[in-house]
Amino acid sequence: MPSKSHLDPLEDVMAGVALGLSQGGVPTKAGWAEAAGLYVHVPLCRSKCRYCGFYSVPVAGRDTGRLVAGLLRELDRCDGVGFSTAYIGGGSPTALPADQLIGLVRRIHERCPGVEEFTVECNPGQVGLGLLEGLRRAGVNRLSFGAQSFRAAELQRLGRGHCVEDITRSVELARWAGFGSVGLDLIFAIPGSTLADWQCSMESALDLNVQHVSAYSLSFEAGTAFEALRDAGRLRAVDEELDRAMYEWAVARLQRAGFEQYEISNFAEPGFECRHNLGYWANRPFLGIGPGAASSWCGNRTLNDPDIERYLTAVESGSEVPGEVQPVSSDDMICETAVLNLRMRAGIDLAEFERRTGHDAMRTFAEPIQRYRALGLIEVTDRAVRLTAQARPIADTVLCDFAALE
Amino acid sequence: MTGLMDIQHIRNFSIVAHIDHGKSTLADRMLELTGTITARQAKDQILDTMDIERERGITIKASAVTMEYEHDGQAYMLNLIDTPGHVDFHYEVSRALTACEGALLVVDASQGIQAQTLANAYLATESGAEILGVINKVDLPAAQPDLVAEEIEHVLGIRKNDCFRISAKTGMGVKELLAAVCELLPPPADRSGEPTRALIFDSQHDDYRGVICYVRVVSGSLKVRQKIQLMGAGSAYQITELGKFRPDMRPVEQLGTGEVGYVIANIRTLGDVQVGDTITDDARPAPDALQGYKPPMQMVFSDFYPGNNTEYPRLRAAFDRLALNDASFSFVPQNSQALGFGFRCGFLGLLHMEIIQERLERENDVDVVQTAPTVSYELLLRDGTVKRIDSPSELPDRTLIEEIREPFVRLEIITTTDSIGGIMNLAESRRCKLVKTDYLSPTRVMFDYKAPLAEIVYDFYDMIKGISHGYATMDYEFTGFEAGDLVKIDILVNHTPVEALSLIVHRSNAEARGRKLIVKLRRAIPRHQFEIPLQVAIGGKIIARETIKAYRKDVTAKLYGGDVTRKMKVLKRQKEGKKRMKSVGSVQIPQEAFMSILDTSD
Repeated sequence: MPSKSHLDPLEDVMAGVALGLSQGGVPTKAGWAEAAGLYVHVPLCRSKCRYCGFYSVPVAGRDTGRLVAGLLRELDRCDGVGFSTAYIGGGSPTALPADQLIGLVRRIHERCPGVEEFTVECNPGQVGLGLLEGLRRAGVNRLSFGAQSFRAAELQRLGRGHCVEDITRSVELARWAGFGSVGLDLIFAIPGSTLADWQCSMESALDLNVQHVSAYSLSFEAGTAFEALRDAGRLRAVDEELDRAMYEWAVARLQRAGFEQYEISNFAEPGFECRHNLGYWANRPFLGIGPGAASSWCGNRTLNDPDIERYLTAVESGSEVPGEVQPVSSDDMICETAVLNLRMRAGIDLAEFERRTGHDAMRTFAEPIQRYRALGLIEVTDRAVRLTAQARPIADTVLCDFAALE
Repeated sequence: MTGLMDIQHIRNFSIVAHIDHGKSTLADRMLELTGTITARQAKDQILDTMDIERERGITIKASAVTMEYEHDGQAYMLNLIDTPGHVDFHYEVSRALTACEGALLVVDASQGIQAQTLANAYLATESGAEILGVINKVDLPAAQPDLVAEEIEHVLGIRKNDCFRISAKTGMGVKELLAAVCELLPPPADRSGEPTRALIFDSQHDDYRGVICYVRVVSGSLKVRQKIQLMGAGSAYQITELGKFRPDMRPVEQLGTGEVGYVIANIRTLGDVQVGDTITDDARPAPDALQGYKPPMQMVFSDFYPGNNTEYPRLRAAFDRLALNDASFSFVPQNSQALGFGFRCGFLGLLHMEIIQERLERENDVDVVQTAPTVSYELLLRDGTVKRIDSPSELPDRTLIEEIREPFVRLEIITTTDSIGGIMNLAESRRCKLVKTDYLSPTRVMFDYKAPLAEIVYDFYDMIKGISHGYATMDYEFTGFEAGDLVKIDILVNHTPVEALSLIVHRSNAEARGRKLIVKLRRAIPRHQFEIPLQVAIGGKIIARETIKAYRKDVTAKLYGGDVTRKMKVLKRQKEGKKRMKSVGSVQIPQEAFMSILDTSD
């Protein structure tokens, strides 16, 4: 068993402080003086899951070393940017050979000494003790496992490449490797599943003593096998009532287990919230590197070209990474901030909102706030505006009224 | 043309036709043959007018064109009085006809007589005009001029051999028709010695010159600088300009008996001029005014509310502009408890309403929510007074009402024999009483119904089109109000009565209508964050209920950095969808829901 001190996430923070690294505001080349997130996208998977709409390609036959080198070349350009959180996601980062993934982490950690939370997404069954210990030593202090379900039939239906035992073993290995902050992703409302199936998955997840659970209602994403099957009438989305029942049961069960629902789909033991993701919902800037990675930086939202070959050619030749750049108007920024903030349990922090957008949220969104308050869907304190528990399952019907100014 | 034309050589006539039967083409051809315009101008004419409109904000309807024509060595003045606006407008057709001694009734050689042809023919007959039958498009492969001639003889009593067979497109037969206009149509009566009387048969507003009156001088004459009096309005003006349309406005010094032209006299707004009024000399007024027209009766009413209350002033300005050039459209402010501030608008009929609707959308970018069109009712109250109401919401307490009278129309439907059954069933289900059936030919039949206007006001036309595969045509004319066993259906949305959804219907089918109606509403009103009960009440008693279920789950599961742009677009669209809805309490009711109450289909 690892020592107690290894389970304490504060240890890493303290280590950073001891090294004299800045904690909150980080000076950057863009003159951005606040905590920024770094996201690294590994667009590779061993196989494609049937519900997944994220961009990824098969790892087989890929020169993964070249990709990792490319990612680092792109990161080189962000020299001088201070990041407080890092997140390697995908795709499947663990589809990379262990030494390459560890090497990637080490280089990022060297380059971004201000990172206080460093998460790597892992596929159950794709991690060994060697990899996990290597990641830990290289600077990772948080793991997120794409468990999805503890029902074998559901895993098969989803097209996942792992089995239930893989999840259990992987989480145990993570603990052996010294990780004190481990999260599991779970999916509910899988076509054909029952409330009992969902309860079983959740209980199994809680049995593993993880610190963080993300519970996602399955959505039919564009271009996925699931979408095609549904449109062909061969797969039926679960009934809205059942979806709601599953969600409400999970919220109650996790609360009993000591987890706080800090975002629509995210639950954590106090202190174990994913700070990187909180950055998204606070609408703080972040840089994404890798093919298909998104960034929000200096008033633009950008999306790298997802084509690996074009991406690598560009970074290797030292030219600009191709992709889409979308300037965010000040109106859009106000709305994005409101919508993203409202997904959090904490809601819109009025002072923080005004500092970030220059606008008074209570005045800018007076009409929807008033209307939804009357309907018991929004609550207002002297410091914040947030969704009520009743509003969360139907949040989009409320949030759409914050998505554009009149 | 110098001096006054010999009255014997003036011909005033109109062309009346079903839409697309070639009225405008024939008019263009006549203008060309008489040298009024060149062939090139004929093509450009419409465009030019539009350019002028755009550039100077002027609309000049060339609706009364003066042509010169030589026939048998004699110079004739032919005044073609076009029917402005849409040919469907009885009122406009009839007021044009009143200024004429003759009419050309144009029928398409392949389509035969249509309901509108008939309606127009009746109007022409009533106005005392001499009618010439004209069969157009005889050059088309599908033309059946003999058959059409027989229909004309059978239905209108014009001898088939007297019909003119022409092709307005190629010009074939148009010269002969012009000759017939000179030979067969009567000249105006010579009343040049009598006091001046001129009929205002149309008017137009020009931003720079004020109102332009289109007039037909019936007796005496009009001169520039003459002081005139509008006999109906009792107001006096001085003529600043007189002229004729050739086809552009050309000033003249004088308009004599029988002549047609325009009068400008510093009249500011269309509201100051009643079309149908008589102009007379202010110093020597005529003892009696000419028989004008019955003012157009608004038969169809509908409420327009701005989608957003802040747009109320814009909507008001838009209506002001529309009313400026359409005296038969009216609007009054309306404050509905459920829908807020809006306007109750009156229209001559459904087509008129559609035209206003279209112009509102095209020319003024205002989001509006419109309520289902309703007809006007006449109430006989217990105290003996008679009251007109334009909306079910104005209906007083039942105990005060002796009887409710609804408008009836003479409805004519012309269709093919294979759709007779379907059309008769539909008509019967809408309380229409068959008055007469007439076979126009072995394959075409004409029905004459007595119909309650309320029953045909919404989807009836679409339905007969559907039943007859697009063949049937219909037309109707108001005949009078008649008492009926009518009741009011009230709709409660989330326990709140919504007047804009109320209907007055016949008791015999009130309950069935009410039940069907809330099923329609249930489908038309989107789900909300809460459950919405819909209830139907007749005479204060709730007879049916439907429930719109609440949203149970509608939330994006994953929203991280890379999802923001796409998700914001989706949410914006979701919000956009709520825009064309009207808030009633906390319920958002879309435009379609207000219309759906009149949809009687299953």
